[in-house]
Order: sequence, then C-alpha cells, then structure tokens
Amino acid sequence: MKVLPKNNIEKVLDRLAEKGETYVPVTKGITSEFALWSPDTREYLDLGSLNTVLSPKPVVLPQTEKMYTFAVVGQEAEVTAVCEQPGSRAIFGIRACDSKALAALDLVFLTRGYEDGFYRARRQGLTVIARACTKPGLNCFCEAMGVSPLEPEASDVILYDLADGGFAWEAKTEKGEELTRDLGDLLTEGNFSKPEKTDFSGNARSEGIAQKLATMFEHPIWEELAAPCMNCGICTYLCPSCYCFDIQVKTRGSEGYRFRCWDSCMYPEYTQMAGGHNPRERKQDRFRNRFLHKLEFFCERYGTFLCTGCGRCIVFCPQGINILSIMNRLQEVGADVR
Amino acid sequence: MSGNCTCGNPLVPSIARVVDIIDETPDVKTFYVTTDNGIPFPVMPGQLAMVSLLPVGEGMFSVSWQAEDHLEFAIRRVGVLTDALHEIEIGQKIGVRGPYGNGFPVKECEGKNMLFVGGGIGLAPLRSFIKYCFKNREKYGKIQILYGARSVADLCFKRELFEEWPAQPDTQVFTTIDRPEPGWDGKVAFVPTYLEELNPSPQNTIAVICGPPIMIKLVLKSMEKMGFNDEQVITTLEMRMKCGIGKCGRCNIGPEYICLDGPVFNLAQLKQLPPEW
Repeated sequence: MKVLPKNNIEKVLDRLAEKGETYVPVTKGITSEFALWSPDTREYLDLGSLNTVLSPKPVVLPQTEKMYTFAVVGQEAEVTAVCEQPGSRAIFGIRACDSKALAALDLVFLTRGYEDGFYRARRQGLTVIARACTKPGLNCFCEAMGVSPLEPEASDVILYDLADGGFAWEAKTEKGEELTRDLGDLLTEGNFSKPEKTDFSGNARSEGIAQKLATMFEHPIWEELAAPCMNCGICTYLCPSCYCFDIQVKTRGSEGYRFRCWDSCMYPEYTQMAGGHNPRERKQDRFRNRFLHKLEFFCERYGTFLCTGCGRCIVFCPQGINILSIMNRLQEVGADVR
Repeated sequence: MSGNCTCGNPLVPSIARVVDIIDETPDVKTFYVTTDNGIPFPVMPGQLAMVSLLPVGEGMFSVSWQAEDHLEFAIRRVGVLTDALHEIEIGQKIGVRGPYGNGFPVKECEGKNMLFVGGGIGLAPLRSFIKYCFKNREKYGKIQILYGARSVADLCFKRELFEEWPAQPDTQVFTTIDRPEPGWDGKVAFVPTYLEELNPSPQNTIAVICGPPIMIKLVLKSMEKMGFNDEQVITTLEMRMKCGIGKCGRCNIGPEYICLDGPVFNLAQLKQLPPEW
C-alpha cells in the first residue's frame, strides 16, 4: 500500500497545483469550503474537520457561470459561446457524502440524452482524491442513504487517515494510478489495513422510503412538516447534490451575456409561469417537492437518493428542520390517502 | 454580423431571423422563423423550442407549424419576454434552440379518427398536429376540431379555422366562445360543455387536448364520461422551463421532466403522475 507521509502532503498539493487548479478544504473564521490551493490559502488548509460548511459542488457547478455573450446591432445579432476548458484539475480531501453527490451530479449533467457542455468541461479533467471517514460527525447519516464512508464513490484515489497524520493512498482508477506514478517520489510504501466499519446511519429510517412516498403525495402530513419552513433556500444552497439552476441575462447597451446560476425549488418564482399560473404555489407544495425529489423522484429516475447524508441542511436550517426526523415521521404515518 | 459558435453546447442558441409576423388576436402573434440555410432544425408536431430575444430573455414555446422552409410560433403576450417579442419587426434576428420534448405520437395515430380539443392559445401546439394530418390526409380518418376562446377576437388562426380546415375532406370544425357577443351567431359555451353536447364517438378515435390547465382537467373528465379509454386521450402540458434538456430541475411533475419526457402524455401516463400541473 502506498503512503502519503504527513510531511509530503503540502508537497503533493504543490505538485497538483502545478498541473492545474487544485481544490482543498480550508477553514477561515466561521466558515469552511473547498478553495484553490495557493500561497494565500496555505495557512487555512484544514485536514482536521469532517465536512466543509459550503459543499464542493462549485468545483463542477459554479454558483454563477457565464454561458455565452451576445451583441445586437439594429435587427442583427450574434452569439459567442464561452468555451472554457479548465483542463487538468484536482480536488483533495473530498468526503464520501460529497463524492457521492458528485456521482449524482454526473448522472444529471452527463446522462439522459444530453450532455451539459459546461459541466463536462469542468468535470472531465477533474481528478478526485477523496478521504474516507471512520468516525461520524453529529449529523452524519450517509450510510442510511446508500453511501459507503470507507469507499467514497467517483474517486480516483482514496485516502485513509493514519495515526501519524499521514494518509494511506489507494488508487481506484486509471487516472488515479497515473497520478500515483507521477507522485512516486513523494509516496512511500507502508502496511495498512482498512478500518473496521463504524455506524454512519444516524438512526435514519430510509429503507423502502421511496416506495412509501410514492403513495403519500396527497398526505396531510406535508402541511404539518412544512409549517416551520420559511422557504429561505439555505438547504438547497448548502446541499452538495442540489443542482437546479436558473438562466438569466445581463444586458448593457447593445451587448450582454447569458449566465446560469444556482436556483432553489423553495422559491415561488422557480415554477411561476408567465401569465400567472404556478403549479407549486403554496409553501407546502415546494417543501413536498424538495423532499420527494431527494427521496423518491430521483430514485425513480436515476436509481439512487439525491441526499447523501452530509447533514449540512440539518446544521444550518434556521428553523431546525431535520431531514432525519422528516424521514422518520414519514415512515411512521399511515400511507395512502390518495 | 452572423457569428455563431455554440461549441456543440445544447444550452447555447443559434441565430435565426423572423421573416413574417401575423396578427392572430389582440394579444397573439405568429412569428415565422428561419435561417439563411433553411429551418433552424427539424421539428415534429408537438415539440418545443426555446426562443430568445437576446437582450431580454428566453422562453419555451411550442412550435405551431413546422413548414418546409420556416418554423411558426404563435405567441401570446403575457410577460416581459412576450411583450418585447410583440414589439419586434420583420427581419429581427433572434436566438433559437431545440427541438425539445417528445411530440405527438403521429405514427401511432395513423389510421385513427382524430378529435382535437383546444382552448385559447392551446390551439397553437394542436395546430402543428392538425396541419400535419391535413398534409398526410390519407393516413388519418375523420378529423374533428373543437376550439373555444373567450371572445371572437380571441379566436386564433381564424382563416384556417373558418375557411381552410372546414374545406378539408371528412373534417368538421366546431367553434365556441365563452360569452355571447353581437355579430356572433355561433355556439356560446365552455369547451367541456360543448364537447359533451357533441358527444363524439370514441370508436377508433384519438383525442388530443390542449388549453389552460383548468380546461384540460375538465375535458379529461368529459372524455372518460364519453367512454374514451386512457390510451385514447392525449394532452400536452406546460411548465416553466429554463434548460429544455432535463437538467435545470423546475419542470418536473413527479419524476418526469416535461421538457424531456413530455410535454405530450396520454391519460394513462398522466394518472401515474402527481396532479401538480
């Protein structure tokens, strides 16, 4: 087994950063996120925490992203696509919940008839160096959502914590093997056995929930569950797997650009049609759609939950709405009232 | 200027030109759109396209006729983008991308009698199928068209409705308005009421319905009452859309995306989905 000794971690990051943008977990003040490894971020590198506050999804789905520019003169118009090709990039230290979310984003943006060119450009050159988890945080429940904390999905390399602060280094893909060869001088050989499994289920009762929810669309429980929600949308912005986006335009004089930006199913405008009709007009309609999307619809369409148990929405919901309690409550109540 | 680079990206439009504009009603205009190289892309009846007035915005519209050399979009003035579209003049360059959605099952309907039931601007998507039937007249049986609008002025495609379509072989056109008005000696009734009065036979017939959501819901009930089974009834739905390719999230009804899996569903499929439209 290859080992990345503690003293070589920053050297490996330097080497990765020479090849392209390299994202690492950093903590600055009260917040943490994946940021570019650079002389400015070096002092904020945080390999001691579990999840970052902000998810790593901007690495592949930036919060705003310019799609094309246009110029209009009289009745004439022209469009020029933004053809950004970020090339070789890396993300270091992503956790299993977030790498599973990356796998879900891949399903959305790269399958089902259309490949999203902007996503593909950011994703295809990305080397994912994930870090296995052995001890759950307070709000972790990844295993209940089908995530293996010891075997992060969508990973080219998996890191396992060693007692001395270094990592056992396991290449999982051809890309990972190639990187292992490139970093040969910084990796050593060592003995390592994977840790015993610990319990990351967080007492979530997820078994059979997609099937059960398929009978609960009109259940009165949704009104009760949605009551505290303020539709603030923080759950959707912090979620590593929420991917909904809006497309908007910025025009200045005869020129402008069209961009996409994160959107939230919590907002009425999300489904508001010109002319006035809104199929998800009430708060509880939007609340229900969010949970059904995560726990039922995505399963039906893609065969996996769109929740990976990272716990961010539990920690940061100002109203204390807890997806675990919601799941458990949905499991408790009688099913079909349709 | 005619620069156009989409880098093969489905979210980037290509440039097309508006070559004709027809006033249909006080708030509906039909825009004829084409490019120097012919139609922007091939479209089947019932499919959608994203139309953008570049400095203003982008919106999803059903194609109301796919002619050989241009596409037609009948667009009602209801918001920021459509207000701006109603102000443009012939010659204006716009952005288009598509086609999107499944479209009507034109092949499966061959050999059937066709019953089209439309309300208001809901006739626009039906028109793509109606005109397709007339173009391939021998492939379809009897054609019945029932169309209603709020007033005479609000009836779209008047020349076709009153002259061209009734003159087609084995074709009946029924028109109604919501409230009586001077000069109109035709039917005054809501579409579902008139439909039940006409009581068309379900025998070897496919019904295709489009209109405001409330009209669709009532007409679906009427269809069941008149003995149409769930596979014989087809509708086309509308939701807010941004991407058109099943990624941006908002146009879902249950696990289905209207832009990709729809907009056309038969009643059997619709009954599998939550009633959230």
